[in-house]
Amino acid sequence: MAKHDTPLLDELEKGPWPSFVTDIKRQAEKKPDCWDILGQLELSYKDRITHWKHGGIVGVFGYGGGIVGRYSDVPKQFPGVEHFHTVRVNQPASKYYSTENLRALMDLWEKHGSGMTNMHGSTGDIILLGCRTEALEPFFWDLTHEMGQDLGGSGSNLRTPANCLGQSRCEWSCYDTEEACHHLTMHYQDEIHRPAFPYKFKFKFSGCPNDCVAAAARSDFAVIGNWRDDIQIDQAAVKEYVAGNYPANGGSYSGKDWGPFSIKKEVLDLCPTECMWMEGDELKIDNAECTRCMHCINVMPRALRPGKVKGASISIGAKAPILDGAQFATLIIPFIEVSAENEFEGIIDVIEEVWDWWMTVGKNRERVGETMQRVGLPTFIKVMGLDPIPQHIKEPRSNPYVFWEEEEVEGGFERDVEEFRARHAA
Amino acid sequence: MAMSDEDLEKAIIEKAIKAPKPQLYIKDFYKCDPDSKARRIKNIANGLVNKGELMFWSSGSTTMYARPDRIKNEEGAEGIN
Repeated sequence: MAKHDTPLLDELEKGPWPSFVTDIKRQAEKKPDCWDILGQLELSYKDRITHWKHGGIVGVFGYGGGIVGRYSDVPKQFPGVEHFHTVRVNQPASKYYSTENLRALMDLWEKHGSGMTNMHGSTGDIILLGCRTEALEPFFWDLTHEMGQDLGGSGSNLRTPANCLGQSRCEWSCYDTEEACHHLTMHYQDEIHRPAFPYKFKFKFSGCPNDCVAAAARSDFAVIGNWRDDIQIDQAAVKEYVAGNYPANGGSYSGKDWGPFSIKKEVLDLCPTECMWMEGDELKIDNAECTRCMHCINVMPRALRPGKVKGASISIGAKAPILDGAQFATLIIPFIEVSAENEFEGIIDVIEEVWDWWMTVGKNRERVGETMQRVGLPTFIKVMGLDPIPQHIKEPRSNPYVFWEEEEVEGGFERDVEEFRARHAA
Repeated sequence: MAMSDEDLEKAIIEKAIKAPKPQLYIKDFYKCDPDSKARRIKNIANGLVNKGELMFWSSGSTTMYARPDRIKNEEGAEGIN
């Protein structure tokens, strides 16, 4: 029996799609506090303003992340959501679960919280919605002691690292994304559980340039699988595609008749750098011009494969539009070896170089991509101890002023700034 | 020369007591000892939370530090804009 009249929310149940209103009503039959979620939301729709307050000093002992405080600003009207904290639970690498684990986790959340979930949050965590302050510590105890799981990151912490399925399911993965994600999650436990930075910081690991975890768009530090040598070609398989014996795109467009496969129309003409051509019935690739768009490999997976010398590219600075506009990550390191044998030493060195700089130079609530934008890419590359390379160039130069450092000019030059300033005030 | 851990702890606590606003960003503590690396100051500040001298205040996206006696309990805490 509904506790509140919700005519506006009820409208959201009328479409053909699944409705969160229906979900909450179903849950409210078991957990009556959930009626107050609907009541408060209905009020927000009427008032056209949120009635949630977010933030606070709420958390579990020893941790500075993983719990996001949330309170109702109309608690007398809706006591069931007076406290409605969010709990972030670190998801397993690639989000592989056993049903036994999921059932146990849901039972735990029914016991301590509202039972409402968000599988998964944007960062990748299991999001458990709605818990009273006094239930947090008992929940945390059971989560860590009975289930052997832990909280994820929130606030100015390293956020819960996330990765694509990697080599567990995908033949294109150029490194073991699951091992990398798990190793770095364990290596940086302090940074995940306690604040460390001017603002949030996210790692994401994709096994190939298809970037299935969208690391280039969603993470401050994107490790995207790549190869350094030539795309592997099976010319016999190319002929089978051309003859129409193998379905293009792994058969993923088989629901409609798209006509006969045309390697020219569907592969060669769509190559962004036009680095592919046919010589007779042989496919040729100018690999130096390949930008790793993956289109040809996606279309003809039985004929083309990533090269044999595998590793990753590191791009830094993506973010969603919070303060400034949204931005993609900038390629900083075109190729780096990624190896579990040396405990991902190469990646860790780059991460800590970025952190040491950003912790000092970054302003409060400034993502690393915004700091890079503020100081400029040349400065960032210099800080990272890298030599500029063509891949760092994003667009033709628009700033006509060129400033040279003394060491960049053959023979150098002498300049006494104090003497100059004595004659020309700044 | 960087301060000793003990002196740095004292300086951070003093800053948290005297700052005009009760909630401070980690960068506000950097000024307590310009010779110390940011990561060391972060570790000392987080250690003070474990000792009960400071508390974390989190908006969900950003975390700040405060003296427990200078901040309202969570039911009354106000969000930052």
